Amino acid sequence: MSEAVVKTNRLSKEFVRDEFHVMALDEVDVEIHRGDFLALMGPSGSGKSTLLHLIAAMDKPTDGQIEVLGANLRQLSDKQIAHWRNEHIGFIFQSFNLIPVLTALENVELPLKLTKLGKKDRLAHAETALKLVGLGDRLDHLPKQLSGGQEQRVAIARAIVTDPDLILADEPTGNLDAASAEDVLTMLTRLNREFGKTIILVTHDPHAAKFATTVRHLEKGQLLPVGALPADWSSAIAVRN
Amino acid sequence: MFRYFSLAFKNSLRNRRRSILTISSIAVSLCLLGVLIAMYHALFFSQETPGQALRLVVRHKVSLAQPLPVAYEDKVRRLPGVREISVWNWFGGTYKDNRDTKNFFARMGVEPKPFLRIRTQMEMPEDQRRAFITDRTGCVVSRDLAEKLNFHLGDRITLQGDIYPVNLDLKVVGIFYDPDALDTLFFNYDYLRDALPLGRRNFISVLAVLADSPDDVPRIAQAVDAMTRESSYPTKTESEQQFALSFVSFIGNIKLFLLSICAAVTFTILLVSGNTMAMSVRERIKEVGVLKTLGFNNDTILGIIIGEAITIALIGGIIGLLLASFLTIGVGKAAAAFMPQLNGLSITPITIVIALGVAILIGIVSSFVPAWNAARTNILDSLRYTG
Repeated sequence: MSEAVVKTNRLSKEFVRDEFHVMALDEVDVEIHRGDFLALMGPSGSGKSTLLHLIAAMDKPTDGQIEVLGANLRQLSDKQIAHWRNEHIGFIFQSFNLIPVLTALENVELPLKLTKLGKKDRLAHAETALKLVGLGDRLDHLPKQLSGGQEQRVAIARAIVTDPDLILADEPTGNLDAASAEDVLTMLTRLNREFGKTIILVTHDPHAAKFATTVRHLEKGQLLPVGALPADWSSAIAVRN
Repeated sequence: MFRYFSLAFKNSLRNRRRSILTISSIAVSLCLLGVLIAMYHALFFSQETPGQALRLVVRHKVSLAQPLPVAYEDKVRRLPGVREISVWNWFGGTYKDNRDTKNFFARMGVEPKPFLRIRTQMEMPEDQRRAFITDRTGCVVSRDLAEKLNFHLGDRITLQGDIYPVNLDLKVVGIFYDPDALDTLFFNYDYLRDALPLGRRNFISVLAVLADSPDDVPRIAQAVDAMTRESSYPTKTESEQQFALSFVSFIGNIKLFLLSICAAVTFTILLVSGNTMAMSVRERIKEVGVLKTLGFNNDTILGIIIGEAITIALIGGIIGLLLASFLTIGVGKAAAAFMPQLNGLSITPITIVIALGVAILIGIVSSFVPAWNAARTNILDSLRYTG
């Protein structure tokens, strides 16, 4: 078995909103290996996005351990985390989140500005990434001049331009029509199969999850065992049968 | 930090209308600031001309309105270091219609011979110099005044007295250029003196003194004032530049006045651009979250946002200084008649440095708090921000 790029041990996250305490993640143990394409499924509030944010070091756990790519994220300073994220993580949002005043090429170049690459190299890398997602002819287009599917492809190019070890996608097809969603998922599959990228896809769409090699379900902050389905899914399937 | 300049620049022009309005308000304010700084610099820090460096003015210690005895002329002449001395009498009076500001110019009674030696930088043809010395009713006018009022050699000018109860009928015998005497008419003091009642003939306004060298100037000033200290007519002797500045002080504490306006202008722009930056940053909190997700740290984000504000302020500052460079020409021409220091007023390199420094400061101060808050906002809170 290949090395574990994500390893959690009794990972917990509790949110406090006013006087209410919500256990978003409850002692989650998970191992994700290099080259995996994992789909994290679950209903809203099940904790799948929270787990993704903890893996990307965008949030801090309340309890437990998390090791991503060999780094104990709880021991890194904010500055070190920012640098680490730039180097190792590619993040794809549901709502694309491109910078509206920058062209497609400039949006993709953005993460490379934090590297030591010169402008010429940065633009060359960004152009390659955009060609890879099939947008070689849209380099100078602003986000508002692109369709939703094209915007998401620019976002994918931005996520892969630094050649990260881990690509995290948070409901990347949530805002797309069926055809564009299919394109995006095919692209992620290609990144996983052809380029060996480890991908964690958060989705509540069973069709999207089918593109992944492994599917894990979260329910009320707890990760269900491999192959297990949430209670309401099991009963729905039983009724259908 | 320069690799983020394009991002900062594009962000600064994101909302075109708001950016243009902010840039315009900064430009107008910095134009005003530029003119005021140029005036302040010209009034209080300008270099003396070579002629001014050698000249002193002796006046009554109490005020210019108090006369000095004409006998002081001989006493001062005997002091070591004094090369030349001349009576210098402010006539006042009216030329044509006093309500027309064009007709306001300085009218001075002088002793032509010593006066021409004292005005070391005066440019005037030799025959006109001779005519001024020999023609008792002759007067000489500065070139700019001649152009303004269309004076030509041989023209007759009538000045109606107010301080002095006499009218002077003068003839233009010379047109000169002197960087230290613009919008000015000089006439023969003897002509005025002879027209005065006997009791007033022994008194004059001030004495103009030419020193042998710049080093003699403070020594002469001390000697003259020491000599007259115990008399009924104590004097105040100062360099010509200081004397000219004392006219400015008639308006009030001009230094405080200029500095107060500068401070008020700066504070106002600070509020305007602070408000703009707060709005601009608030609209982009979510993007700050995106940048952080890409790996930008707090310091870099802080720098980018402050860079945006500096970009806007600098664009405004540069436009403002361009406007100011035109405005100073007009202000200098209009004010030179009563403030000769403002003649040739222009935006100097030091004014540019100060004004652009203020622009940068405005950019930093106005954006620091919103930038700091945005940079410190938790990454997930930023991404969830909906405005």
